Amino acid sequence: MLTRRDLLRAIGLLGISPSGWCEPIATGAAQDPSAGERPALRFGLTPVILDDRVAFLRLWASWLERQLARPVVFIQRARYREIMDLLLRGGLDLAWICGYPYVQHRRELSLIAVPRFQGQPKYRSYVIVGADSSFTALRDLQGRLFAWSDPDSNSGYLYPRFALLEQGLDPDRFFRRTFFTWGHRHAVEAVAEGLADGAAVDSYVWETLARRVPALTERTRIILRSPLFGFPPLAGAPGLAEPDLKAIRQVLLRQDQDPIGRQLLDELNLDGFAPARPALFDDIAAMAARLDAGRRT
Amino acid sequence: MSLTPASYRHRLPLSLSVAAVVTAVSMALSLGLQTLDNLREDQGRNALRLGHAMSEVLVQALLHDDVWLAYSLLRGPEKDAADATWIVIDAGQRVFASNRPQHFRLDQPLEGALPWLPVAASTSDAPVPALVRSIERQDDGTRRVLRLTLASEGGPVGELIALLSDRPFLARFREILVGGVLVTAAVLAVLLPVGWLWGRRMASPLMQLAACMARVGTEDARQLRCQVPESDSEIGQLGRQFSAMLAALAEKDALEQQMLQAERLAAVGRVAAGVAHEVNNPLGGMLMAIDTYRQGQVLDARTARLLDLIDRALQQIRGSVSALLVEARGDSRTLAPTDLEDVRTLVQPKLARSGVGLDWNVSLASALDLPAAPVRQLLLNLLLNAIEAAEPGGAVRVEAGSDGSQLAVRVENPGRPIPAEQLAHLFEPYPEQRPHAQGLGLWICYQIASQLGGQIRVASSAERTGFQVELPLGTEEAP
Repeated sequence: MLTRRDLLRAIGLLGISPSGWCEPIATGAAQDPSAGERPALRFGLTPVILDDRVAFLRLWASWLERQLARPVVFIQRARYREIMDLLLRGGLDLAWICGYPYVQHRRELSLIAVPRFQGQPKYRSYVIVGADSSFTALRDLQGRLFAWSDPDSNSGYLYPRFALLEQGLDPDRFFRRTFFTWGHRHAVEAVAEGLADGAAVDSYVWETLARRVPALTERTRIILRSPLFGFPPLAGAPGLAEPDLKAIRQVLLRQDQDPIGRQLLDELNLDGFAPARPALFDDIAAMAARLDAGRRT
Repeated sequence: MSLTPASYRHRLPLSLSVAAVVTAVSMALSLGLQTLDNLREDQGRNALRLGHAMSEVLVQALLHDDVWLAYSLLRGPEKDAADATWIVIDAGQRVFASNRPQHFRLDQPLEGALPWLPVAASTSDAPVPALVRSIERQDDGTRRVLRLTLASEGGPVGELIALLSDRPFLARFREILVGGVLVTAAVLAVLLPVGWLWGRRMASPLMQLAACMARVGTEDARQLRCQVPESDSEIGQLGRQFSAMLAALAEKDALEQQMLQAERLAAVGRVAAGVAHEVNNPLGGMLMAIDTYRQGQVLDARTARLLDLIDRALQQIRGSVSALLVEARGDSRTLAPTDLEDVRTLVQPKLARSGVGLDWNVSLASALDLPAAPVRQLLLNLLLNAIEAAEPGGAVRVEAGSDGSQLAVRVENPGRPIPAEQLAHLFEPYPEQRPHAQGLGLWICYQIASQLGGQIRVASSAERTGFQVELPLGTEEAP
């Protein structure tokens, strides 16, 4: 967690005027004089990353502003669906979304970049249980309490349901009761604190928490690791102009070459951003299709 | 010094100390209990307020089946350090959320989770007003239960239950208690010595009095010099009473002594008079016989010498005996002022020889109804005694006066005091302690004063010795 002093030091490091730093992220970032009259870039965030770190996000927004020479505003919502609605209806210019909603709207959205995590633009879904529990496999959780992350999450909803279906089990009846925690971090907390017997979470979030808050992840244990899926991508809105899209992509792809950008990536626990093709998410699309078919039959 | 707790020297300070300790301890105890009560009340009030504040969101969570929302609200920022156990149950009497999820599992029936809890309040049609009720202490420390019906417009959708125990503020209460004990100890550290000293001070007059009283009976009351407490308190009154009693005792002792002396002197006087009469009668016969014999015949020289010798010896015996036999009532002449002046003239040669002055203060206007001769002799004897006792260069003082009922004479001389043991036998004939003195002077004075119905007293201080004589007028016929 960044302290206020860290933040001030970092602002000094970045050469940002601290005049606007106390404004809420969602309402506007620092008005850099070089930003000119151009409207702010509206950047939607979902809990696919640890989006509760306000100070860090402010620094990243400042860095992006300097790179893009225009204001950048981060807009956060608790649920994937709200961000998706904003993105599809022109309320956002781009958003960091999950692969599952991306494949559902692949035709309308443009793919800007995909983060590289542990060397590749991929991640997994983890099924976790309490560290002291006796569960060793997904099947052991039958008749138990299970926490989903978000109904629009691949790792926290789509994959575990798919896995159950693959084993011939009904995802809607397998658990005694399930609930949504609206975020991977919350899902980890629900298991660590004993609210749920098991949960499905994003491997990237879990690994980042393991690095940052080991006391939390130590109270959980992974019993199932999914195959690799395309990492939650940064997607452009249907109305995002091509030059803007290219400019943003360029900044993101080069972030790992900039010293401050490198530090920000370290904070994100990412290696950098990579260009990607929509085919990266075909696996997710296949799973979604399989589950839809299962529901229809 | 007695160390038994019966003594007020210890009992009084001890009582004050005990009173201080008991007061301090009971104060600390009652304040502690009051604090505990207040803490419990505060806890209940806070829980109620918090419950009401959360109820709206909890209703939302129940209606939308949002377990996480309810849980994240209940677990609050404190998580493990939560003051109370919060449980939300749904309309089906099943646990929906709790800030202790490991104890109260999602979907667990309420009867299983809290078997001791009375039948749910939310089943009735009219919502029961929220209140905190005390219950019997449960194994988990729960002492009070808050039940709050969660209702939306359509009716109750669930219930919020808070289990309150003393655990959250027990540490604080202990802190307060320890603070109270420390303050009490500090106050006692001041109060105890003060109380002890105060008690000692209050008891000390009593001690003084007791010490004085212990000396009564073992010591002569007249010599007893005691410091008694002086104040307006009861102890002061006691001290004054005691002083008065001591004075009365001393007076009684002095009277007894005086009476004893008077009786002894009277007895001695009777013996002396008796012996004198018995001796005088044959003596008179013998003298008369010698006289007759002398006149009847011519005596040779040897016989005449022998008879003279016998005659002189018999005359000496008569002189000695009549000196013992004081006759104050024989003379009928009344006392005139000149009689006293005569005495003054008579002592002049002796004054001159001794080098002693005379301070003469006699104020007698007329004759007094007293026999002249004995009074003259009395004054002369006293005066001669005083001149003898006075050291050269000193002055003997004589005062005499009458108030119409008595004649008062006072003779004083400077000089060494008369020791107490001598004073007791001063008026006896031939006193042991003064073998060199003539021996009968003061005896005669005493006899005269007694026979005239008066008194003679002596007082001797470090510098002066004085004789005071009081003779009543007109008591010639006194026995």
